[in-house]
Amino acid sequence: MKLARFVLFLVGLVAGGPLLAPTARAQALDRAGLIGNLCGNASAMGEAAAVLTGLAMSGDAADRAFAVPLARAVIDRKLACDEAGAVLTESGLDAVTRAPRPAAGEARTPVLSLKNRATYELADAALALRAAPEPAQRAAALKTLERRPALIPEGLLDAAAASETDAGLKADIETLAQTAALNAADPAARIRALARIADTPSRRALTKVSALTTDPAYAASPDFRAAVDDATLRIERGIAIGDVLATLYNGLSFASILFMAAIGLAIIFGLMGVINLAQGELIMIGAYVTWLVQQGLRVAAPSLLDWYLVLAIPVAFFVTAAIGIALEASLLRHLYKRPLMSLLATWAVSLFLMNLVRVVFGTQNLQFETPFYVTGGVPVIGDFIFTWNRMFAIAFAIVTLALTWGLVRRTPFGLNIRAVTQNRDMAACIGIPTRRVDMMAFGLGSGLAGLAGLALSPIYSVNPQMGQNFIIDAFMVVVLGGVGTIAGTVVAALGIGQINVLIEPLWGAVAAKVIVLLMIIAFLQWRPEGLFAVKGRRK
Amino acid sequence: MSLTALLVDGLTVRFGSFRALDELSLAIDYGEVRAIIGPNGAGKTTLLDVISGITRPKQGRVLFDGAIDLTGLSEAAIARAGLRRKFQKPSVFEGLSVRQHIAIGADVGFRTRLDAPALEDRVGEVLEIVGLVDQSHRLAGELSHGQKQWLEIGMVLASDPKVLMLDEPVAGLTDEETERTAALVRALKRPDRAIVVVEHDMDFVERIADRVTVLHEGRTLFEGSMDKVRADAAVVEVYLGR
Amino acid sequence: MNRFGLFSLTAPIVHLIGLIVLVALAMAGLAGTEFALSRYLANAIGQLAAFAVLAISLDLIWGYLGILSLGHGLFFALGGYLIAMYLLKHSFEITGTVPDFLQFMGWKEFPFYWDGFEFFPYALAAAVVITTLISGLFGYVSFRSRVGGVYFAIITQALVYVAMLLMFRNDTGFGGNNGMTGFTVLFGWPMGTSGMITALAVVSLLVLAGVLAGCNGLVKSRFGALMLATRDDETRLRTMGYETLRLKLIVWCLSALIAMLAGMLYVPQVGIINPRVLSPELSLEIAVWVAIGGRGHLVGAVIGALLVNAVKFWLSFAAPEIWPFILSGLIVLVVLVFPNGLMDLAKFKLMRPMGPKRLAADMGEARP
Ligand SMILES: Nc1ncnc2c1ncn2[C@@H]1O[C@H](COP(=O)(O)OP(=O)(O)OP(=O)(O)O)[C@@H](O)[C@H]1O
Ligand SMILES: [Mg+2]
Repeated sequence: MKLARFVLFLVGLVAGGPLLAPTARAQALDRAGLIGNLCGNASAMGEAAAVLTGLAMSGDAADRAFAVPLARAVIDRKLACDEAGAVLTESGLDAVTRAPRPAAGEARTPVLSLKNRATYELADAALALRAAPEPAQRAAALKTLERRPALIPEGLLDAAAASETDAGLKADIETLAQTAALNAADPAARIRALARIADTPSRRALTKVSALTTDPAYAASPDFRAAVDDATLRIERGIAIGDVLATLYNGLSFASILFMAAIGLAIIFGLMGVINLAQGELIMIGAYVTWLVQQGLRVAAPSLLDWYLVLAIPVAFFVTAAIGIALEASLLRHLYKRPLMSLLATWAVSLFLMNLVRVVFGTQNLQFETPFYVTGGVPVIGDFIFTWNRMFAIAFAIVTLALTWGLVRRTPFGLNIRAVTQNRDMAACIGIPTRRVDMMAFGLGSGLAGLAGLALSPIYSVNPQMGQNFIIDAFMVVVLGGVGTIAGTVVAALGIGQINVLIEPLWGAVAAKVIVLLMIIAFLQWRPEGLFAVKGRRK
Repeated sequence: MSLTALLVDGLTVRFGSFRALDELSLAIDYGEVRAIIGPNGAGKTTLLDVISGITRPKQGRVLFDGAIDLTGLSEAAIARAGLRRKFQKPSVFEGLSVRQHIAIGADVGFRTRLDAPALEDRVGEVLEIVGLVDQSHRLAGELSHGQKQWLEIGMVLASDPKVLMLDEPVAGLTDEETERTAALVRALKRPDRAIVVVEHDMDFVERIADRVTVLHEGRTLFEGSMDKVRADAAVVEVYLGR
Repeated sequence: MNRFGLFSLTAPIVHLIGLIVLVALAMAGLAGTEFALSRYLANAIGQLAAFAVLAISLDLIWGYLGILSLGHGLFFALGGYLIAMYLLKHSFEITGTVPDFLQFMGWKEFPFYWDGFEFFPYALAAAVVITTLISGLFGYVSFRSRVGGVYFAIITQALVYVAMLLMFRNDTGFGGNNGMTGFTVLFGWPMGTSGMITALAVVSLLVLAGVLAGCNGLVKSRFGALMLATRDDETRLRTMGYETLRLKLIVWCLSALIAMLAGMLYVPQVGIINPRVLSPELSLEIAVWVAIGGRGHLVGAVIGALLVNAVKFWLSFAAPEIWPFILSGLIVLVVLVFPNGLMDLAKFKLMRPMGPKRLAADMGEARP
């Protein structure tokens, strides 16, 4: 292993010599001169190769397109040099003008020296990587380059990565760029590469950099050693920061879902003292409605398919709200002051809805399109990627929070909700139609559950049982947050969401649930009313 | 035995930023019937809540018998010390019979300590006092409002309390029932017992009370005999002024 | 006198207890003869009896104390798991069969906490102690902070859910998601024979009769009156000098122990225990049995459990997929139309102690 690296290093020193400064290039390409060199002696051919490699890195696209067939033609001996210049024998085109013409007179095919063969192969791969039309061709070119990382000119891979359109290939190019730069012959280039790698810390970068401690230069050159150590330190710090951010980010997205699942519960609980055990199924139905909207668009308006997540928002809200209102009007209305019985009744509804969906749609997970706005993400630092699907859930929750808050705090309907929550009898006395308020609030709470289902469909699997996964956590949010307060729900959702993701990597998901439950029980010792209890008269 | 049964000292109770009781102090002696009156929301029920341990005050103490600070004790411990209270809203156990109520009140504990005949005697005695002998086997949930009031009074006096607190004992009763209740309260008066009555019915208060405390916005507005209360300008202002 | 006294001979509960004992004796007497019940039927009766015991345990705290637990499956599972440990260890001692889950985990021997479980008295004592500890601790912290009503119901549900997640793990040494099965020997006798099935059913019936009689004695006693008083107005009772925390704790632990007992009866009869008994659904179903039978009536709880489970047994052959729909329909019906379950149907002064007015009201719930 070590030996191989060393041999590579030596080869690089020898073979890479002429290539070290290929960037020095004339402003406009002298096409005829280039072809002349291709047909010239060994040293002229070497120069021509350098120019070709240089074209792969910079220069305009037309020149690059012009250069692409040349190196290949020389390697494959498909170049015929004659008085008028040269002809590409495969296509029968003039090498300079690219007009069809036959080779004139005594055509000669240039022969590559052993040394030049390597440089031409390099030039060919470099050009193909930049300019080949098919990703597969570019990938093959990358493979060729990978074999000789030490030979790859500095800057080539960066340029290739910048113009690459295929995401997977791009990542591969970037990886190779790092490896190449780290193994470059020039110690200064290596140190520069180290600094650059340290700018984008990741676990892969760390493996690569720490491998350099066994490099001969590490022992030999104090500068190199310092650069490696410094890079290691910075990468480690970056990874640590990235991990913390990733945890917080995951916690935040989980908390968003929890919040959306719990806010409806909390409003209903505050208002009527009823815990809606069917809330999880309303979430599930929200997700199914989203899926149905997607399927509908697929048939009716395929061009809008990407926007189904947005278009489904009102549909999911109103469908679940309607179910909620129907539920309230037909069932819960008769169970006032019997909260435990309404617990059973809503469980019956939950059982019914879950099995209904199971019968109608089957038990398998639904397949969702992933529109571009929830695809991929932005790598930030370390292994932390700011993924759009989670951001979608977070943004969605924030918007929901703002709207709910506005609705409860700033509208007459919200005022009614708050009045009935605080004192139902008094509210009834001053003419608030409490029953209507109940019904509408139940609709609101259910609609919010539907939105939660929509928001989580890009992240979690959607099936008839999914509601069960969220409902108990959502209850815990309500218990912790206190009855019917938005602020309490937010804080409790954030707390439980973060604690869950903090504990999970350490002791596993089950332990996280156990610990959250124990903490809530302990918390209730201290504040039985929850975090933000609404003060009311002892009844 | 000290003469002061209850010494309320600098009591403050807050609900949020609202002060239901505001550094309230007062003393209630053994042998007296003390009426506490005041407009709605004056803090009368809140005061009884603190004394019986249901509400914890922010500040201040309640000394019972000059020695025991009640503010740190549980409701049950306070009751076992000899303080009993009837609630403003009739609070009876709907699923139990009248007799069971009295038996539960007469002898505290998961098992009876009195032997069966002694307990029976006591229950019969109390039923006699509150006039519910004929109802003794009915469920409390089936009683009329007035009967529930008396049942609750019977339940709390069955234990022979040293301090008896009655929150609006005649609210919703007919004149005749009020009459009987007044007689009952007078009959319960004993040298070793303090009786605290919260009431809005002034005629009733006049008939039973030795002294009257007027509460207003969590503070004592006036203290004295009923005649003086009627004559006091500030009290009249509070009652009629708004 | 009447209310504090024990039951009279005409009370329906006496008839029910008599009937149960009679069935048990008949089954025992006819065992081995041509009149003996089929194995399947005998086994079903035994399982139903275990469920009836479970229903009584919940009725005790919900119907009489007003505390709804949606996590009673936890205690049921405790009994089930601990008896399963006895059965496996005992079977291993006698026949040398190594339980599946040990082989599955690649373990050579039982984890240390299985020590002693081959002795039934030890297993029984462990079950009692562990159940008392867990229910006592949980009850204490909940009741102390006056958590009740819907809060309590939800937290118990979370408790049983978390327990289920825990038991689904394979590394706990309790069988993981496959649970424990393959019981071959009980008290030295082979399991699965007709004799054993009948014996287990008879024992279950007798235990049911005993639990019924014991609980009836309790709820008709002075202590039972205090339970009802706690249910109706806890603050009122506290301000009369009663430590309701202690009372609730005693009844709660007793209820947990009865549920545990039900689990101990149940598992040898079905021959398997796995974490699914800890699913919140099962715990909710117990509440449904009680609600359908009528809360606050021991007879009602028993009849509710028998009826619902008999239908469920039957449907699990006929049409398992429609059971959830029937169950939810039943619940809605009971909740809306018959708030006191079957007791509303059986109006003919079957259940005097509650009185008609009380029947109409919803029992044991926070009033406005
Ligand atoms: N738990 C509570 N939370 C918030 N406010 C309360 C609470 N308990 C009492 N209050 C308020 O404290 C004030 C005093 O109440 P309290 O019941 O003591 O009055 P009161 O003198 O008994 O009146 P009434 O004659 O109407 O019974 C009232 O304004 C009441 O609304
Ligand atoms: Mg009052």
